[in-house]
Amino acid sequence: MPGALDGFTIIDFTQGLCGPFASMRLADAGAEVIKIEPLGGDTARTMGPPFIQDESAVFLSLNRNKKSVALDVTTQDGRKIARQLIDRADVVLEDFGPGRAEKLGLGYADLSQTHETLVYCAISAFGEEGPLRDQPGAELVVQAMADYTHSLGKIGEAPVRLGTDVASLNTGIMASQAITAGLFHRVRKGEGQRVTVSMLGTLLHMRGIMWTSMTDPDEWYGFHLDHYTRPPDEGYKTKDGHVYFGLRRGSSEDWDRLMLTLGLTDYITDPRFQGFGREATSIGRYAPEVKPIWERAFQQLTNAEVVKLVHEFHGDAVPFNDYPTLCAHPQVAELDILKDVDHPAGESFRTIGPVWNLADTPAEIKSPPPTLGQHTDEVLSGLGMNATDLQRLRTARVIS
Amino acid sequence: MPGILDGIRVFDLSIAAVGPWASKLLGELGADVIKVESPGGELSHVIPPPIKGTAVLYISANFNKRNIVLDLKEEGDRAIALKLVEKSDVFVQNMRPGAVERLGLGYDVVSQLNPRLVYVSASAYGRTGAMAKEAGIDPTVQAFGGWCSITGAPGSQGEMFRHLAHLDITTSTMIVEAVLQALLARERSGKGQHIEIDMISAAMSLQTSRLAEYFATGEQPQPMGSAAATTVPHQAFVCEDQEYLAVGVVSEDQWPRFCRAIGQETLCDDPRFATNPKRVENRSALVALLEDHFKTKPTRWWSLRLTQAGVPNTRVERTVNFQTLRADPQVTRNQHIVDLETPHWGTLSVDGLPWKFEKNPAGPIRPGGLQGEQTEEVLREFGIAAETPERNGRDKRLES
Repeated sequence: MPGALDGFTIIDFTQGLCGPFASMRLADAGAEVIKIEPLGGDTARTMGPPFIQDESAVFLSLNRNKKSVALDVTTQDGRKIARQLIDRADVVLEDFGPGRAEKLGLGYADLSQTHETLVYCAISAFGEEGPLRDQPGAELVVQAMADYTHSLGKIGEAPVRLGTDVASLNTGIMASQAITAGLFHRVRKGEGQRVTVSMLGTLLHMRGIMWTSMTDPDEWYGFHLDHYTRPPDEGYKTKDGHVYFGLRRGSSEDWDRLMLTLGLTDYITDPRFQGFGREATSIGRYAPEVKPIWERAFQQLTNAEVVKLVHEFHGDAVPFNDYPTLCAHPQVAELDILKDVDHPAGESFRTIGPVWNLADTPAEIKSPPPTLGQHTDEVLSGLGMNATDLQRLRTARVIS
Repeated sequence: MPGILDGIRVFDLSIAAVGPWASKLLGELGADVIKVESPGGELSHVIPPPIKGTAVLYISANFNKRNIVLDLKEEGDRAIALKLVEKSDVFVQNMRPGAVERLGLGYDVVSQLNPRLVYVSASAYGRTGAMAKEAGIDPTVQAFGGWCSITGAPGSQGEMFRHLAHLDITTSTMIVEAVLQALLARERSGKGQHIEIDMISAAMSLQTSRLAEYFATGEQPQPMGSAAATTVPHQAFVCEDQEYLAVGVVSEDQWPRFCRAIGQETLCDDPRFATNPKRVENRSALVALLEDHFKTKPTRWWSLRLTQAGVPNTRVERTVNFQTLRADPQVTRNQHIVDLETPHWGTLSVDGLPWKFEKNPAGPIRPGGLQGEQTEEVLREFGIAAETPERNGRDKRLES
C-alpha cells in the first residue's frame, strides 16, 4: 500500500537531530527524501560513541528511508546541482540559520522563481526575528532558555536537563506537520509557500499551560505551578524499585480495605487523604506532603504488588521503567514499535519505528540509513549526468 | 488569506490534554473545530489551577474551537452527533478502548455514514494487550515510558519532569502529523481512514536518539545532569559568580572557535579532543579541565565571548522569572509567547503558534468558550432547533 506522502520528493539539507527527525517521519510516511550532506557528512555521523559498525547509533536512528548525496552547496557547481534537484522536487527542508540559505542562493525567494509550488520549510534555533536570530542553538541551551531546567533537579544545585532531546525532536515533529500542511494546501490550491519553525518556539509552545497558569491563577497550588519549589520527583519507592500511582475512583469499602492492607488506617480520617486519596496521590494537592507515608507502607511491597493493589482499588499505577525493562515489557511488544532495520554495512540494528498507525496508508521502513554519498551517482545520473561529469565534479570536490 | 485547513471541520470528542491539544492545533491551522462535551463536562475541568473558575488546562487546550454539549447517552443527542459527524472531515477521540463504540460512535459505524472521515483513536497504552484499558496520564507515561530513567543528577534514580504535560502534548503533535497525512492522502483517494496512536509509542518515538544508545550498547544510558551523552562539551559549567552557563559544542567547526573564545587555544591541537568522538571518549579529562577554567571568570564574561564566536550558550537562570521570560525580546519578537484577550478570563499569556506559514498564516489564536457556550449557534448552523427547555437546562457550565 502506498504511504500518505507517496510521490512527494523532499530535498533535505538539515543535519544533526531536528531536521533529520522531521524528514525521517516524512520518509516513513512515503516521501522520497534526498539528504544533501556536506562532503564531511552530517554532523550526527560524529555523534557518539556509541557507534555500530562505524556508524553513529544516533545518526542511524534518524536517517532510515533516505538517500544520501554528498554535495558541497557552497560551490558554484554544487549550488547549481542543488537547484536542479529542487526544481524536480516538492519540498525543501533546511536548517542553515536565518538568512544563510539566501546567501547560498537557496533562499525561498530565489527558488520559487523557477518553482512556484515549492513547499519550503526552514528550521531555526530561536526564531527568525530578535536579537538571537543569528545565534546557533544546542539542545541544552534551548532547554535552559525555555525554562525547562526549572522543572528538574534541586534548587541550589547543578542544573539538570531533560535526558530526551526535546528541543530537537519536538521541533522535528512541528516541521513534519508544517511540511505536510504545506503539501495539503498545495494539492488543494496549487500554491507553495515558505514555513518556519524554531526550537525555542516549539519548547515554549509545549509549555503553554505553564504560561497561562502563571498569568493570574485563582490559587497557588496545583501541578502546573509548584515545579519551582518541589524537590526532584522519583516516584514512590518500593521494595524493588519505584512506582507512580494515582487514586481517583473506587468505593468507600475499597478505600478502607486498601488502607487496612497498607497498615494506614490512622490516615483514613486524615483530611489530606479525603476523597479516597485523590488529593494524596498523583497530581493531588497533598501528594508531596504525604509521600513519605505511602512510601513507609510500600517498603515491604514490590513494584508488581503495589501496582496490583492499586489496580484492585481501581486506581492507576505503573512501575518506573528503565530502557531494558521498558523494551522487554509485553505491552511494548503489543505496540509493535521496536523495529530491526538493516545496517548499511550488513547486520541489522534495533530502532523505534513509525509511531502512527494509518490503516490505509501505512508508514513503512523500506531502506536502511545511507552511507555518506551512497546515492550521489544514482541521484545525479537522474539529472542526466554521465560518468565523465561525475568524475569531473568528484575531482573538483563538488561531490563525493 | 484563509488558514491551511480552511473548510475542514473537526468533530472533537476528546478529553483532557492529548486529544484537545491536537484539535486545538488543527483549529489554529484554520479548521472549524467543534468540541463536544457531555453534560457532566470533560476531565480537565477539575485539574488545578483555575483562572476565574475555569481550569487552565481546559482554557489552554481548547483555543480556536466552538464548544457544545451533547448527552450522547440520549438517543436524540446521539442523532445530532451523527448529523455533525456526517458533515465533518476529522473525528478525534481519546477515550479508553471500547468507550466510544459503546456510545455508537466507533469507526465502523461513523465511517459507513461518512467514508471521507479521518478518524483518530488515541490511547495511552495501545488498543490491545493487558494494559490497553488502563488510563494513562502524562506522569504515568513518563514513569512507564523510560523517560525518567535518563534524566536527573548523575548517580540518581532518574526523575520526572515536573511540568506534567510534555508527553501529552507530544502525542497531540503526532496526532496532528497523522491527521494532516490522512487529509493529504484523502485528496488522492477520496477516502478517509482510521488512525491509531498511543502515548507510549509517542514517548518512545520522542526518545529515538536516546534509545539508540541503549540498542547499540545494551546498557541503560545514565542520568547525566545537564550533560549530553553523545556530544562533548555540551553541559552547564559553574562560573566565578556561582552561576551556571550552558554551553553546547555541537558541530566540529564550533570546537576551535570554542577553544579560542575561552582562551584555551592549546586544546584545539590536543589529539585527545580533536574530534567529537574523541571528546566523548575523553570526556572526564576535558570536563575536569573546563570546569576549572570556567570558575575563573563570571558567566557574563564567558557568555559574551562565546556568543561572539558563534558558540551556543546561555546563562541558566536559577531564579524563576516568568515576567522576564515573557517580556524577553527573543520571545516577543517571534511571538513564542503571546497575550490573548479573552471574554471570560481576562488577558492571558499563552503559547504562540509553533509554525509560521508565510502565505496562509495560522491563527489568529482565539480563546475557546465555556462548556457548551456555542451549542445553540452550532446546532442552528446544522438546522437543528436547540431551544428546548430540556437542552438549556443541560447546558449549564460545570460548577466546580
